[in-house]
Amino acid sequence: MILSGIDVADFTFMCTTLGLTKGNLSSHMDRLEKAGYVEVHKSFNGKVPHTDYNLTKAGREKLAEYWTGLEAIRALKDKPQG
Amino acid sequence: MASSPQNISAEPLEDPREIAKWANRYAKSRTIPFLVQWVFIVLLGVIIAGVVYLTLMAYRTEHLVWFLLCAAGIVGMVIALAWFTVPKWGGEQIYRISQWVYGEEGYAAYLGGDPEEGIQAPGWVYAGGAGLAVYHLLGALLVTARYLPIWCIQPFSAAYMVPFFFAMTVSQRLGFWAFIWPILYGLHAVLILAGVPIRFTSVHLELLNMIMPVFGYGLVAILVGHVYSRYALHKLKQLARKGLDAAVEEAHALEE
Repeated sequence: MILSGIDVADFTFMCTTLGLTKGNLSSHMDRLEKAGYVEVHKSFNGKVPHTDYNLTKAGREKLAEYWTGLEAIRALKDKPQG
Repeated sequence: MASSPQNISAEPLEDPREIAKWANRYAKSRTIPFLVQWVFIVLLGVIIAGVVYLTLMAYRTEHLVWFLLCAAGIVGMVIALAWFTVPKWGGEQIYRISQWVYGEEGYAAYLGGDPEEGIQAPGWVYAGGAGLAVYHLLGALLVTARYLPIWCIQPFSAAYMVPFFFAMTVSQRLGFWAFIWPILYGLHAVLILAGVPIRFTSVHLELLNMIMPVFGYGLVAILVGHVYSRYALHKLKQLARKGLDAAVEEAHALEE
């Protein structure tokens, strides 16, 4: 969701913003990458490894789909019964 | 520099899309790279001015060795300025220093386009940049030839800079902070034309009538952007963590 508002973010930013552990974030990102929703760019800043993430077109489309679904569920929930 | 994750409330998240909105606002208002450029240009400007002054003094007092040393210093400074303006060299240093200042906060950027396709500034930005130099050179010539009174040079400059920077800000999708500079610069020009005494009247300080608005309002805009980025990051952390909690709750509810 964070990545849909920006073009690129690194591992540190995602970790500190979400308050997740490094291992937890890595496993989430691995799954999203395997699903083709997130692109991962690994590089080195000197000797320090650096990882950048960005949402793919497929990821943006899937997220848009998710919003539509969520809206539909909310509409159903808010609909008066009877 | 990174803000702490404290004071995160546990209220439910109303619209998760707010997370994307605040992430975008945060990324657009990360102004430390602009501050790094500002400090470098101002420092270099002050050093160049100092060395030029020393060169003149050496010339007047006929100290040949000092004169040559100072002249070499000016050439060195100009090379340093040129090096800094080349994105491949200066850009990398700006990125490194900015990353160091942001520390544990990490890196997030909104480049205003699709990162998969690559982002490039439109051609008119380069043309406008070149036009800016030509326009100001023309202004200097008009002042020298006495076709334009010297007190008019800032309003003359604003007539080009204000629309150009407005267009740049809109086109590059920068944050609201980037509008502050053209607004203040334009306002400054209007006040001068209205006869408000905001100019340095001493001949020796004449240059400050351009330098102060250009760099002073630039610093104001950059600092406003930075303060706003602190707020946006705090808000983003709040929403992102609420969003995670809500997602976990939703998952549990679906399982049941």
